[in-house]
Amino acid sequence: MVIVGSGAGGSVAAWELARTGHPVLVLEKGRNLLPGLGGRGQVRTLFSNDEVKAGRFFEDQDPILEPRTLRTVAEARRGVGRSFVGDVNDLPTVVGGGTIHWDAKVPRFWRQDFKGRSLLGPIPDANVADWPLEYDELEPFYDEVEDRLGVQGDRSRMPATTLAQAPRRHDFAMAPNPPMYAGLRLSAAAEQLGYHPYPYPMAVNSRSLHGRPACSSCGFCTGFGCPVNARGGAAVSFLHDAIRAGAELRPRCFVHRVDLAPGGRRATGVSYIDESGAHRSVRADVVILAASAIETARLLMLSAGPHHQEGLGNGSGMVGRNLMFHYFSVGAGVFSERAHSWRGPATTFTLDDFVGPVSGAPARSAGLPYLKGGCCEVGGGTLLLEEASLYAGAGLRGAALTGALRGLALRDHITGIQLNAEDMPQSSNRVDLDPRIRDFRGFPVPRITHTPHRFELAAASHFAPLLQEICAVAAPTSETQLIGAQMAGSTGGHAGPYATAHIMGTARMGDDARTSVSDRFGRLHEVPNVVLADASVFVSSGGFNPTLTIMALALRAAREIGR
Amino acid sequence: MDVRANRREFVAGGVGGALAVLGLAEPARVRALIDEVAHGRLPDGGGRFLSAAELDALRAVTARLLPGPPQDPGPGALEVHAAEAIDLLLGAFEMRPALIHAGGPFSGRAGGSGDDFAHFVALDPQAELGWRIRLEGSRGMPEREFAGPVVGLQEIYRRGLARLEELAHARIGHDFARAGTAVQDELLSSHDHVVSRFATAAVANCLEALCGPPEYGGNHGLAGWRGLQWRGDTAPDGFTAAQVSEPDPPTGIVAESPEASLRASSRLAVLARVAPLLGRAGRRDPHAGAATRGEQG
Repeated sequence: MVIVGSGAGGSVAAWELARTGHPVLVLEKGRNLLPGLGGRGQVRTLFSNDEVKAGRFFEDQDPILEPRTLRTVAEARRGVGRSFVGDVNDLPTVVGGGTIHWDAKVPRFWRQDFKGRSLLGPIPDANVADWPLEYDELEPFYDEVEDRLGVQGDRSRMPATTLAQAPRRHDFAMAPNPPMYAGLRLSAAAEQLGYHPYPYPMAVNSRSLHGRPACSSCGFCTGFGCPVNARGGAAVSFLHDAIRAGAELRPRCFVHRVDLAPGGRRATGVSYIDESGAHRSVRADVVILAASAIETARLLMLSAGPHHQEGLGNGSGMVGRNLMFHYFSVGAGVFSERAHSWRGPATTFTLDDFVGPVSGAPARSAGLPYLKGGCCEVGGGTLLLEEASLYAGAGLRGAALTGALRGLALRDHITGIQLNAEDMPQSSNRVDLDPRIRDFRGFPVPRITHTPHRFELAAASHFAPLLQEICAVAAPTSETQLIGAQMAGSTGGHAGPYATAHIMGTARMGDDARTSVSDRFGRLHEVPNVVLADASVFVSSGGFNPTLTIMALALRAAREIGR
Repeated sequence: MDVRANRREFVAGGVGGALAVLGLAEPARVRALIDEVAHGRLPDGGGRFLSAAELDALRAVTARLLPGPPQDPGPGALEVHAAEAIDLLLGAFEMRPALIHAGGPFSGRAGGSGDDFAHFVALDPQAELGWRIRLEGSRGMPEREFAGPVVGLQEIYRRGLARLEELAHARIGHDFARAGTAVQDELLSSHDHVVSRFATAAVANCLEALCGPPEYGGNHGLAGWRGLQWRGDTAPDGFTAAQVSEPDPPTGIVAESPEASLRASSRLAVLARVAPLLGRAGRRDPHAGAATRGEQG
């Protein structure tokens, strides 16, 4: 078995296959920054509470070497090749993938997310479809992945709707972390307004578990590698044991083609460039692609050949299409007291009251049958350099800048709520190969063409004021009022899709090979021994952080391979 | 001529203060490198990349971008050694390993033993290529221009400082560093593309020096963090449950420095400018500039 990518999907697949006796080779294009990974002792780390290092592409893909390009759908129709070259929704390119610096929030998708078409019906100009599986089929894999990760939470405080939509047979392994002060205040305000906040399920140790220590709430969480490995993830929770069970990891190996047998119906392995720059190939009975939704689509297209002229497995024409990002909306409040909302594991509360669907006037006014939002991250904050960059981005210089850092000190006082809202799948939102821009190895870079559907825009316009209302109740200050007014007048609370790390679609699964790329186990319809084990297979984006679902699907796919 | 090799030999070869640097334990090495430049102990009085004149001009620039006493009561760019830290970044490849990514996981300031940060992580060949392009630019080399030409940070600084001097001489007839602060501010606000590109980079790098860990050469004596009442890196000790779940006591920072505090009206004015950006805080906006990344052509 050869696995492309060591992130959420690849590491889970490697663990399942290696521990059941299969020979496994993992090819990862990033570096390994976790000394001791796969060894006898504890996994160590080179990550730290360092905002400068985090901004210098320590674990992230370097957009100078591997840029992506971006354009809107309207630009594409006008023949614009690209309107931006650089970092477009880049994920960490490193052993462990995106889970190296995720904030480890692990909500489950809901029943309705898997059956959107049959339960809620179509949305104009979108490809709403049912998944070829149901929540009940995925639930045992959710359980198993959670068990390996180590997940904290409190089932007794989860809303009945959440438990009905995403039933849990087992309680969480650990109690929640100490609640963050701003999250407590926002949660109290949300309850006052009739909402139902609860501790965010997250793969962070609140006590020592699986040989990893408890989180010390250092505050440098999302966007930073964990300095103590209290946070679970692909590398420490799965790949470490996969290697110990016999899997081989080769970092800095870029796979550029899936190799096929004559006739094009069976993969024979992959071709790649190793860390020395040498071109190599490796044979395999099964090729598992887990490079992330954008990079997997790119690899399928790079693997075009005589039998797959539009890209490997692309007889449906759907490879690269239906690219989905979560559409973020935000509310913000400024406390008079020092609320230090950066301190802790990013956020400690969530609420599901804005998941939807919402029908009635808000949807009708957009010409839609319904709207959906998603779960909320309640109570995040900002670190010092991040705050300073915010002021600089607003044009402050000189004494105005230093005065703001000292006198306004948003890091001490500001907090926010973020809505992770569902993004509609659209054919025109896609990944293809940029015809002009190449990466440092000489391969075409992925070009992202994306414009939000009016579904996302209408949902954001509906939900963002509700987020701001919670902030206003929690932090009833003139600064909160001003922020609310300013955001309503400018961004409307829309943070948009382009900087999210939640990337899905591009090779959707389905039972019908005419409308989907992969089957219910992620196998390419046209080349069944190529298996997709990342978010490329998602049919819908749900309104929840996607990584747990990626892992559960990867485990299910790998177990099917092993059968 | 291999400038890099010669520079490295110079650092290792025992000229001037460099001998002392070699004898120091690793955690103090970067500090000593900075001190050599700050105190003009290198032979030409300059830095590791910038000349003495360029360094003087950059100090003057950074003092306007992040002013310290007497204009501002808190430590500014001069106090945290921002210009010297920028010079160290521009000359990062003069050292092995290149001074790009500090080590981890702990600095010793909040538990742990010793300063792991000071042991910089070596770049592998791929990462080095990216950082050479970012710092040195593509320089017409085909292997660096696969996606078009890139202007490196070294050139952004060198050309920016030169343009500022041109503008200063045209405006007042002498060097930028000797101009009055009002003229300096006016020149730094120039819409000249070379100046604005340079100023954007300098602001970002000054903020790294004010707010980042001292292992990168800035934040001298932790003056940046102290002045802003920021604890800095907190691992592995982290925070107690009470420190997470209860508010902090007031700092008194505003009362202590009334001349620097933002009056209520000013606070609201700043917030009005910041508010539209809040949704993107902490995330990279593909349409935003990226000062430390050079420029993609």
